[in-house]
Amino acid sequence: MPSRNDSRPIRHILIVGGGSAGWITAGVLASRFPERGEEGVSITLVESRGVPPIGIGEGTWPTIRATLQQIGVSETDFLRECDASFKQGTQFAKWTDGSGGDTYYHPFTLPAGYEERNLAPYWLEGAQDSSFAASLSFQAPLCENSLAPKLITTPEFAGLANYAYHLDAGKFVPFLQRHCIEKLGVSHVYDEIVSVHSDEHGDISHLAMKSGNELSADLFIDCTGFASVLIGKHFGVPFLPKRDVLFVDRAWAVQVPYVSEEAPIASVTRSTAVSSGWVWDIGLTTRRGVGYVFASDYVSDDAALEELRRYLADNGDPAAALNFRKIEINAGYRQEYWRRNCVAVGLSAGFLEPLEASAIVMIELSAKSIANLLPGCRDDMPHAAKIFNETFRYRWERIVDFLKLHYLLSRRTDSTFWSDNRRRESIPESLQEKLEYWEHHSPWHEDFPHREEVFSAASYQYILYGMGFETKTPLSLLNDRDRATAREKIRETGRYAKTLSGSLSSNRELLAKVRRFGLQKI
Amino acid sequence: MTNLVALNSQTHRILRLEPARALLDHARVNVVSVIPREFPRLLANYPIFFTKSPDNGQFEPAALLGFDRGENLFLSESSWDAVYIPLQIQRQPFALIPRPAPAEANAQPALDLALDLSSPHVQANDGERLFQDDGRPTKFLQNISSMMSALVSGSNEAYAFTRRLAELNLIEPVAIDIEFVNRSTTQMQGLYWIAAAALKSLPAAQLAELRDREYLEWLYFQMASLAHVSALVARKNKRLAGVTAAPRDGVGDALPQ
Repeated sequence: MPSRNDSRPIRHILIVGGGSAGWITAGVLASRFPERGEEGVSITLVESRGVPPIGIGEGTWPTIRATLQQIGVSETDFLRECDASFKQGTQFAKWTDGSGGDTYYHPFTLPAGYEERNLAPYWLEGAQDSSFAASLSFQAPLCENSLAPKLITTPEFAGLANYAYHLDAGKFVPFLQRHCIEKLGVSHVYDEIVSVHSDEHGDISHLAMKSGNELSADLFIDCTGFASVLIGKHFGVPFLPKRDVLFVDRAWAVQVPYVSEEAPIASVTRSTAVSSGWVWDIGLTTRRGVGYVFASDYVSDDAALEELRRYLADNGDPAAALNFRKIEINAGYRQEYWRRNCVAVGLSAGFLEPLEASAIVMIELSAKSIANLLPGCRDDMPHAAKIFNETFRYRWERIVDFLKLHYLLSRRTDSTFWSDNRRRESIPESLQEKLEYWEHHSPWHEDFPHREEVFSAASYQYILYGMGFETKTPLSLLNDRDRATAREKIRETGRYAKTLSGSLSSNRELLAKVRRFGLQKI
Repeated sequence: MTNLVALNSQTHRILRLEPARALLDHARVNVVSVIPREFPRLLANYPIFFTKSPDNGQFEPAALLGFDRGENLFLSESSWDAVYIPLQIQRQPFALIPRPAPAEANAQPALDLALDLSSPHVQANDGERLFQDDGRPTKFLQNISSMMSALVSGSNEAYAFTRRLAELNLIEPVAIDIEFVNRSTTQMQGLYWIAAAALKSLPAAQLAELRDREYLEWLYFQMASLAHVSALVARKNKRLAGVTAAPRDGVGDALPQ
């Protein structure tokens, strides 16, 4: 054990990089440690001018509501200024077999009865004249009809159905920036790093900047995006590529105007499988964001662009004048995220692909963990780093598993992209083991033992049973009491969906009202 | 089905209305939105809370008339049992409807005074005339017109008032649990009132601002009006059993001091 000789508290935090990762982290830490003076924590964010955000992370998870609330912004301001819309889950089209009616939902609301007992086996046992999501989640019909998750009278951040947002990252970042600087006392510096300097133990001591200034800190947070300036370049922490599991490595992205001012704003992310990947379709209040995530081993850039144009044409979107942008994706994550006095958050730590919108939620979880683990002094940092590294390694691995699940369950045969995705050697051992277990046992809480799983058993149930996976639970593990409960819950779910559908307005209508009147805080 | 038609001195010259009976058709509500200018008169009988408008989510002052949906404890078989009737009910069955505007007009449409012609109390024989023989509006109709303008400007005033209160965190939700004399209970949802503690600790400058805008006066009218919750419970108990009883846990205790 190294000698303990540095009992100085961690008082100066320097966040390097000002995208979503930098400003979310700044907001979470600054609201958590509000004292700035002699006894407080100073938080500085340094970024270079004019680095455009990557901006494909336009989908979020419901955790974002608690995060925004903690940071202390108003939901009304956020919705108005970031052109944000309500997201109630994801709709997957053509993933299972590619046929016309092939669609299912992964809603944010948990399946009925989820807190007490696993009703999935009873749904499987039943006639199944209604899909898993529509049987056990009242939210699926709300998604289907592009309804809002709340009423104009529902207070900020509260919902009648669980929800997150679609947002314009290009507006979200300046929105957070303003709030962090004006309300939370975050210091903000525009400058560029020239060199990174270490002390005799190997900690980062300071950054030498282009302006001639030196920026020192007790803790450095690397939010430099794919450049990964501190954790990658300086510390040389290896990058673990995951392309052997998740094949997609490129995307064409485009902003699409609504065909009319009355066109519905979908309250789900639409994900449509195509020949060599999938197309995202996200509705903001002002425009849609659409893109094709593809694997360049299976389709050329030109052919992919052609497919994306066809997708738009099928939707009735005039694609002629649109400006398509190519994005490189390098799926994988670092071997460690916290090394010595430096921790990586966001793309510098890793990125997989936009499926299931895990990028922003990983930023939120990282920021929250840093806040929760922030050690009392430098001596305690290795322990915090150890816990952080173990936790986030686990989270990245589970996300890989969950994303892979979508691909391997597909029965599409239109390209080798899909058949290769089913090859045993591309499937992580951890996932393969679970899949075998789930042949006779529906996913349940015990399968995911961590306190905060990114994707819980509920998410696995929605994907597995949405895509026609069959769990053959032996009769000995089932009983009549739960069978009756399942029947009752399914009926209740249907009734509740009807009641809610009758009182909720469309996503577009509510967003227009929020723009005009705002939501109340209480 | 209501049939709101813009009034016209030609087409509607001979119409008559029995206002006292007509408004009773619209009185089966337990909450009615009110405007600050009525507060002094409402104070005699009604507790004035805030509710959220289902259309725009904004707080609006509202008088509580009963505890169950559609229950108006001021309504007896043939009359309204209080000296003052809230304007929103008095004006029935009249309404303002937007005038069909020419397509290029993007501005706020003009409003026309309209009457619900489906009301059985609108006919040609009994009651108040709307127009004189020469087509000029009668005193009665003029009175209705000014009531409608008061409601329009009053509603704007009310929204400005509640917006400012909400900004200052002076509105808070209130849960009222009441047990009636027959042991039945009710829990009122969706009601808000003045956050008395926040008002007490409001900085002097903001207090002065509230005073200068008349808001302070309105606030105190509302706070004082809450004493009528007990009276309303008593009305209900009288109906239930012919005896009076105090609300459970004393709603009176929860009133702002």
